[in-house]
Amino acid sequence: MSDGWLWLAALIALPALVIGASTLRLDVEHLRRLAVAAALAMLFVALGVAVSPSLHDFSILTSALSWAPGGEAIVRIDTLSATLLPLAAGLWVLTVAVTPRAALDRRGLRRTALATLVTLASFLTESAVVLLLLSVASVWTFLSALADPAHRYQRRVVAVYLGFSTLLFAVGVAVLVSPGAQGTTIEKAGMWLIVVAALVRKGIVPFHAWVPEVFDHGRLGPAILFNAPQLGAYMTVVLIVPRASPEMLRIIAILALGTAVYGAALALVQTSARRACGYLFMSQSALVMAGLDCTSVSALAGGLLVWLSAGLAFAGLARCVLVLEARRGRLDLTTYHGGYERMPLLAISFLAMGLACTGFPGTLGFVGQELLVDGAVDAFPVMGFAVVVASALTGLAVLRMYFSLFCGRSEALAHASMRLGLRPREAWTFVALVLALVGLGIAPRALVDSRFAASDEILRQRQENMLPGRQFSGGR
Amino acid sequence: MSVPLTWLVLAGVGSPAVLLALLGGASLLNRPLPERWTASLAGTSMTVAFAAFFVAFVVRGTATTGTQLLSYGAWSTSHEGGIALEFLVDRLSLAFAALSAAIAGVVSAFSNRYLHREPGYNRYFVLLAMFVTGMLLIAVAGNVAVLFVGWEFVGLSSALLVAFFHERPAAVANAFRVFSVYRISDAAMLAAAVLLRHVAGTDSLSLLFGSGAGTTSGLAGPNATIIAVLLIVAVAGKSALLPFSSWLPRAMEGPTPSSAVYYGSLSIHAGCFLLLRAAPLLEQAPMARLLAGVLGAATAVFAGITTRVQSDVKSSLAYASLTQVGLIVVEIAIGWYTIAFVHLAGHACFRLLQFLSAPNVLHDLHGIEDAIGDRPSPVDGFLEAVTLNCARRRLFLIALERGFLDSALDRVVVRPFTRLARRLTLVDQWLCDAVLPAQRPVAVGSSEDRDE
Repeated sequence: MSDGWLWLAALIALPALVIGASTLRLDVEHLRRLAVAAALAMLFVALGVAVSPSLHDFSILTSALSWAPGGEAIVRIDTLSATLLPLAAGLWVLTVAVTPRAALDRRGLRRTALATLVTLASFLTESAVVLLLLSVASVWTFLSALADPAHRYQRRVVAVYLGFSTLLFAVGVAVLVSPGAQGTTIEKAGMWLIVVAALVRKGIVPFHAWVPEVFDHGRLGPAILFNAPQLGAYMTVVLIVPRASPEMLRIIAILALGTAVYGAALALVQTSARRACGYLFMSQSALVMAGLDCTSVSALAGGLLVWLSAGLAFAGLARCVLVLEARRGRLDLTTYHGGYERMPLLAISFLAMGLACTGFPGTLGFVGQELLVDGAVDAFPVMGFAVVVASALTGLAVLRMYFSLFCGRSEALAHASMRLGLRPREAWTFVALVLALVGLGIAPRALVDSRFAASDEILRQRQENMLPGRQFSGGR
Repeated sequence: MSVPLTWLVLAGVGSPAVLLALLGGASLLNRPLPERWTASLAGTSMTVAFAAFFVAFVVRGTATTGTQLLSYGAWSTSHEGGIALEFLVDRLSLAFAALSAAIAGVVSAFSNRYLHREPGYNRYFVLLAMFVTGMLLIAVAGNVAVLFVGWEFVGLSSALLVAFFHERPAAVANAFRVFSVYRISDAAMLAAAVLLRHVAGTDSLSLLFGSGAGTTSGLAGPNATIIAVLLIVAVAGKSALLPFSSWLPRAMEGPTPSSAVYYGSLSIHAGCFLLLRAAPLLEQAPMARLLAGVLGAATAVFAGITTRVQSDVKSSLAYASLTQVGLIVVEIAIGWYTIAFVHLAGHACFRLLQFLSAPNVLHDLHGIEDAIGDRPSPVDGFLEAVTLNCARRRLFLIALERGFLDSALDRVVVRPFTRLARRLTLVDQWLCDAVLPAQRPVAVGSSEDRDE
């Protein structure tokens, strides 16, 4: 058995272990400790995969699905996916370490492990059929988190939008693999169906309405875990970018840039912290899609970096909101809540992660956005201006939230004797996340090089696929 | 020659950056350093920065009058492009950096006593370190990215220091207004950078700033004009030139030492310094130069009138400061670069002294009264003497309302934007309702939501 098999087995076994343990009669707190330990172990394993060049060409080939796009490489670790694995693991750590004890029961722990497993498996494959199945699984996991009657409306909204997305995805894949479709308008139609599916899944305007709704009135925790890995972007990279025409990619980029500005502008006027988070996520995640326009290797590398920074920073920011809600109840942004003095670490973490979302210098977000703009100015300067406007508005929205949530008089807070500060586990998780975002922002060279390598690979595959007479092979 | 200069500039910029990392890291770990340590570290850091830039200025100034690009490596080893850490040094940049470090050192020493036992003592010094790092980066930036880093550091630290007494809602609201204007300035700066990269294929500032005194920018024609106008918008936002002047009195909510270093001496002059650096570009763009001159003159007149009716000493000083900033911009537009820099340096030091002594103004007045045995007689200014009664009344109203700039900004920008964004929010909700008609619950969401 090769090293690759061992690393892969370790990655999959850890969330599977938690899923298995959740079926036993373990105490919930013990189960949570196990989940934290498993998530940390998975993070280290994923980091090991990411930094080990020998594992970047690992793949498991099969002929069983060779009729479908990308079907031969049913499992593949390459320069793109190797860096996404720590993102999935990091989001799991954040979830199980920071969610308040009262809000995470046995089923919740099982669901988070299952969602992580699905995300992980998605990042490890390029097979359209497997991706479709995993997409169904992730939507089902998300819907099951909204099963209680209080969220019936949001559950139906999600079911309609994401069901539509999944249906389009399925039809698109079916069209692509149908005999005789290659090189015809049918193939193009199939591609468009997958594009629309990815846009709905990503919450790109005009298919976005479910995102702020589910963030605001749905359950924020599952929404973070479902959205932050950005599987829609992965679908785009694996299935669309290798074969899409430049016009198709340009339309995606224009819609994404519009979403980036739209989301940032609307985040600025929201009265609910949760809804503001939803719009912020829309804005940030759209920048990833904009980078996939493939105008240049720098822009693509920038988009891939924003994928990581926006995923981590946004998840951290939204988790801060959840932690604050656990102490104060639902948060509105029309007043100043105060409390900086009693929760300085939470306030600093919130601000730092918000700034990382906006691409503030010294954070990973700045590196990604700078590369995005730098790479796009020659062929597509509109992207540069749109990123500038989105960044300016996002910065305002984040500072408004910070001021509202942590500044002002604190009469509304609980009694002075009540402990509002972070628990050690929460504190260390937030500190580690902030240090990671700042550390990678100050010394980003290794990560930037790896994203350039991934971009080179994506563009090389795209050039090969675009050669005349080449049949659609999906994947890269 | 260049090796020691490289290290000196790195030490100069790195010193406050290390201070920022130390104090910021301690705050992040919820282990703020004792006041004594913080003060010692801040003093040492500012001294090192000043010494490094002063020596660099002496070394560089005696050697040559041209500019020199110091490169410290790039982000990526495998590809060109992206950010490179580059500093562009000449006598102007090193002199401004040395001046900034010296003023920051004075303010740091003053703040140590002024904020003794203040709950936000450590936070103040973190933000001061961020500010000084930003100012020094602006001074020696070699490309747009480095300039933007400094620009952002100055902007964020400024807004957070305005909200330093964050238990006061007014301070927080004013900080947000200040930051809003700064974001416009930041956006203009970035837009200039995008355009520069698009037309010239580089973000090197040597293209804008020329390669030394008397040299010309590598740009010309409409592109030069558009980039110069965007830079002027960025400068107007940061230096509170018209029509962005309304944030200046709001910024006085912060502690006095920060008001002194930001709005009396350094931050408010950052825009002037940038214009000075971009003088070769302005010379290629006469329309932009004219615009700068008109803005500077209008700001000087407006601030000169407004400062006379302010009821608190800090606002009065802020507008007085703005008057001089307007005049400096006029001098730059005319082409009196040396005079402009001397004016800038002298005004920064003088206004710093005035701001820092502002809390003592009543005490000083009492001293004067004791000395002369009476109240000092009010002095009628020249403007008051030569203005007709009816005009005086109107000017008084305009000055009292600070040119109605705030209400105009609200009417023209804030309210339409807010209205539009709220309507779009409703449209988004309607898009959900459209797929599930008549199913939205009346009251949804609760604090008891389970949120794994």
